[in-house]
Amino acid sequence: MKEYAVRNIRLCTKDCLCLYVCPTGATDTEDSIIDREKCIGCGACARACPGGAISLVPARMPPQQPKTEGVTAAMRRLALNKVKEENLARTIYNKNGSPLMAAVARSCRLTAEDIYREAGYMLPQSANARALLKEIALSSDKYAAEIAKQLMSLLPLN
Amino acid sequence: MKYECPICGYVYDESAEGAAWESLPDSWECPVCHAPKSVFKEVKEPEPAKKESAPKPETDTALPLTAAELSAICSNLARGCEKQYMDKERALFMQLAEHYSSLIPPADGDISQLAEAVKADADAAFDEAKRAALSDGDRGAQRALVWGERVNFVLQSLIERYGENAVELEKADIWVCSVCGFIFIGEVPPEICPVCKVPSFKFERGGKMQ
Ligand code: SF4
Ligand code: SF4
Repeated sequence: MKEYAVRNIRLCTKDCLCLYVCPTGATDTEDSIIDREKCIGCGACARACPGGAISLVPARMPPQQPKTEGVTAAMRRLALNKVKEENLARTIYNKNGSPLMAAVARSCRLTAEDIYREAGYMLPQSANARALLKEIALSSDKYAAEIAKQLMSLLPLN
Repeated sequence: MKYECPICGYVYDESAEGAAWESLPDSWECPVCHAPKSVFKEVKEPEPAKKESAPKPETDTALPLTAAELSAICSNLARGCEKQYMDKERALFMQLAEHYSSLIPPADGDISQLAEAVKADADAAFDEAKRAALSDGDRGAQRALVWGERVNFVLQSLIERYGENAVELEKADIWVCSVCGFIFIGEVPPEICPVCKVPSFKFERGGKMQ
């Protein structure tokens, strides 16, 4: 399976071994992000890296884990509660600037995101995400539709 | 206004620091790399042109999902792109998330409604979802629910304790775990998040709207 290398900048200790071993120069970039166009996925950099900072990622992700209808429905109900709570906290924050309310809004959003991840929206390349993008692209919301179209052309469907 | 260190990229944000740039002495230096104040450059805020070019659709989102749901789904998918180092896609999903956020009408309710909603989740919604996840053997969903329920419990106790005004928190440091949403109040974030076990650098400063 075709793979490509990615570097975790936080773990990178700048020992530069990956610069020496890469056969295509993909690891040597001004923004520290490995050049995906150049990378042939040989894995030499990951094996050489003393910091364990490089991983190889498949170019095509496996399909998402299937979700049952029961789990999806219950998770989405819960996520809907969470986004409503986020909005309540945000509205209160906008009225009185309470720092706790800002943190609560952020927290509710993070929980909602995590629940959606387990309700069928784990992978941006998944069929579910694709179906949603399609709906957005066809909707009368022109601004959103434009962005959705761009995403559909960028993201491979797995 | 904001001022950026040209050496290390540290940004001094007047509104966050609560002190005007002018009021800092000439001897002030970059807290990260000790570059002198004189080399700092004012950050030109990008024009909010994007916002204006985003016309409101006639009906809310023009989709069966609410704007709030769409926003959270899109910001989650943005994370999915970030993890895979797909920056362009991440930025586009964030643009969608922000667009849908801007369509959310203000909530109707106050702190007591919020307290009730959080309590209702603790009393019923989490249990219901846990039952479904358990009976279908979905361990991924169970994982999210274990974290979510603990974080929800923290919200419940913080709201009970401090209420709407939370005056005591005006000057406190509030931290939010960027992975699970756990809220921590204290000078430095915990070494490891008590809920999801990520290291302290995953905590973000909370207390302000992003
Ligand atoms: S070999 Fe690893 S630690 Fe060294 S520069 Fe490359 S990524 Fe960073
Ligand atoms: S996987 Fe091979 S080609 Fe790709 S960056 Fe690493 S060393 Fe270079």
